[in-house]
Amino acid sequence: MHGMTSYFIRRLLLVPVTFICITLLVYTVIRLAPGGPIEQAKQQMRAAAASEGGAGGSSAMGDTGTLELPQEAIDQLKAYYKLDKPIVVGYLIWLGAWPDEAKGGKFSGIIQLDFGKSYRYSDSVLTTIASKFPISIYFGLIGYFATWLVCVPLGIQKALRHRSMFDTGTSLVVFIGYSIPDFVAALLLMLLFATPMLGPQFELFPLGGFRSENWDDMWAKGETWWCIRDQIHHTFIPVVAYIMGGFATMTILMKNSLLDNLGADYVRTAFAKGLGERRVVFIHALRNSMIPLCVGIGHAIGLIFAGSFLIEKTCNIQGMGLLGFNSLIGRDYPVIMGVLVFGVLIRLFGNIFSDMILAVVDPRVRFR
Amino acid sequence: MTAVLTILKVAVVLALGYALTTKAIPWCYVKVARALGFRVQITPITAKRIARFKRIKRGHFAFVGVSTLFVVSLFLELLVSGQAVVVHFDGKTAFPAVADWSNKVAFFMNIPSFQRKNDFGQVGESRVDYRRFARWADDPATLEADLEQQRVKAQTLRTEAEAEAPDPDAGAFTRRKYELRMKRVAAAELEVETLTHTLDVFSRGDAWIIMPLYPYGPGDLRLDLSKNPPNAPSAAEQIPLGTDMSGRDIVPLMLYGFRLSLAFALLVAASGYGVGVIVGGLQGYYGGWVDIGSQRFVEIWGSIPFLFTMMILASLVTPTFGMLVLLLVLLRSWLGITYYVRGEFYREKSKDYVQAAIGAGVSDWKIIVKHILPNSIVPIVTFAPFGIVGYIGALVSLDYLGFGLPPGTPSWGALLRQGLENVRFYPHLVIVPTVALAVTLYAVVMIGEAVREAFDPKVFSRLR
Repeated sequence: MHGMTSYFIRRLLLVPVTFICITLLVYTVIRLAPGGPIEQAKQQMRAAAASEGGAGGSSAMGDTGTLELPQEAIDQLKAYYKLDKPIVVGYLIWLGAWPDEAKGGKFSGIIQLDFGKSYRYSDSVLTTIASKFPISIYFGLIGYFATWLVCVPLGIQKALRHRSMFDTGTSLVVFIGYSIPDFVAALLLMLLFATPMLGPQFELFPLGGFRSENWDDMWAKGETWWCIRDQIHHTFIPVVAYIMGGFATMTILMKNSLLDNLGADYVRTAFAKGLGERRVVFIHALRNSMIPLCVGIGHAIGLIFAGSFLIEKTCNIQGMGLLGFNSLIGRDYPVIMGVLVFGVLIRLFGNIFSDMILAVVDPRVRFR
Repeated sequence: MTAVLTILKVAVVLALGYALTTKAIPWCYVKVARALGFRVQITPITAKRIARFKRIKRGHFAFVGVSTLFVVSLFLELLVSGQAVVVHFDGKTAFPAVADWSNKVAFFMNIPSFQRKNDFGQVGESRVDYRRFARWADDPATLEADLEQQRVKAQTLRTEAEAEAPDPDAGAFTRRKYELRMKRVAAAELEVETLTHTLDVFSRGDAWIIMPLYPYGPGDLRLDLSKNPPNAPSAAEQIPLGTDMSGRDIVPLMLYGFRLSLAFALLVAASGYGVGVIVGGLQGYYGGWVDIGSQRFVEIWGSIPFLFTMMILASLVTPTFGMLVLLLVLLRSWLGITYYVRGEFYREKSKDYVQAAIGAGVSDWKIIVKHILPNSIVPIVTFAPFGIVGYIGALVSLDYLGFGLPPGTPSWGALLRQGLENVRFYPHLVIVPTVALAVTLYAVVMIGEAVREAFDPKVFSRLR
């Protein structure tokens, strides 16, 4: 166990290094790329001047000087966005490892949990993310559990009836599931069951969203059943899409893993001792064949917590994924960096968590 | 009758494509490789694997189908385009579609093409409408009707303009307006003249045209329809798959999108696996610090949230096709394969034949390329089809989110985005790309399953 502990400590020590590498890379790219905040401010200025000029006649167009931002305003903006400092210094201020002159020489960055303010909305990035987070977790968790509920029994049945009609038939479904990306599945489901294309009786679910708009009112009125029904209606299509996303991989993993174990010597021994088939399969073989699935939990955490851009965009769910998407459309860099930080951290800890689960459920595994 | 003829033509094209894919290309490949001094021979074990692959009917069929369609799609400019394949007019012959194709695929050829009206003995710099030309060639009566219509139009324009002719002492503005009007009249009359000339050439029998199988290219707008776009599929208006929101026909969009997606995925897979095999091979062969150092790097690099980073980069600079390939290779496709190749190289290196080669003083490079690599090719081959499924999915996802190829590119993802925006009213914008995507990916998955089964057969035996 001593070796294992030091292994995990080493893994944890690698987290900050990895984190800094990735965020520094993205920070640098954003800083170096064209179309930063200064250019945006200039463009807004130009747009405003053009619309004013259009209203007041075309004579003002000759004077291009009025269309430019004054130099001192540019300097102010540069200081505000830390563009007057070298990239590394700007990064360290953002990280909170360099005193920020704009805030009176205080250290204020990611380390101090100061993610800055959104350019577009003047909310702090942290509150924005905190408000979107639960929505992504809601869909992610339900989707993940539903995936387990569907795939594990199906995988077991496929393994037990290997090469039967059932196996071949469900394999077809599995491969079709693999060849339709999850967001396309969501789109297709919305078309089939959220629009009257097949007939009005098939318009069962709403076209996206987390809840109906009047949900809070109805809840306040005490219409609990209506609220629960509404919530389930909004949950159905995204959750099926999440299931489709992991369906094929997980089912096949479960099947192959159980097949491997069913062919192993210890299963032969168990049968030879005269144990019943149910006991051998479900107590002996199944426990061991769940190991690869358990390892996937850590990796799935990223998807659960950060949400899927594609499903959230398709189903119009205001979670982390859509927040990241909208911040990219609006070039809202503090939010982009905030979403990135969460994404990277969850991923890194998820990977370590996977190894820990593996170490717990499979005592044979030794990390060096 | 025309439908039967069209099906016959498509069948001929597919048969030619099949022959090209399964016979001509492998034959050329072997000839060229031999000419370059490579020894081309199939080892017994590879022959066994290929035989096993061919025995799996679904996979083999999907492989032949997808590769034939891809090879045919390399000639799409000749098959699905608004430009004529061959056009002959007044003693001159040109190959506009072939020229278009050679610009993209065979850019070293210089093929004559009529592009502008004055290449045609007509007046003006605007592009020739080959579809109109084909209609005339089909039925000269339409040309006469067009000519008559144009004559009437020119006549009315002239009488209207002359009725409102200004006094000589009218203001400069009014006179200028009249001049402009007369210019339009002159243009209409010139058009009458050229059409008369065209009719003359047609009646001499000195004009003919061969159009592609489907006369609309991916950028051509369907302006001949009665309603505003998007149009739902309709047999009466001859739009088999409908039009998109800007009025482009969806048939060419799907076909060119197929070529684009598959070419993208193949390029990403090939270059990514190239890098991955080199890195993984060096790690596994040298081990020690090379391995530990690069393994840490692979771990860090692999923790980059791929889709979000791609989106950040694409939001800063609109990526071209090549940039997108490069980004996907850099960020993703080389990583996964390193683990497997590294493991294979570790295993193979400890075997006797490698140790013997090292003992005999063979150079590292030669051992890696000639001895170990052929023996560790299984993971590369078995992963490739599933990689291709993933890369097509990645391209579609990026285009769908609007962070992919520039607008106007024929891409499935962009059409799916239009489908999302119009899901209530224009279901064909969702259904058509979804079916295209699902069928293509399903075929590739079938190939992958068969390849895995053939190269890495697992015999499950239930003991009880």
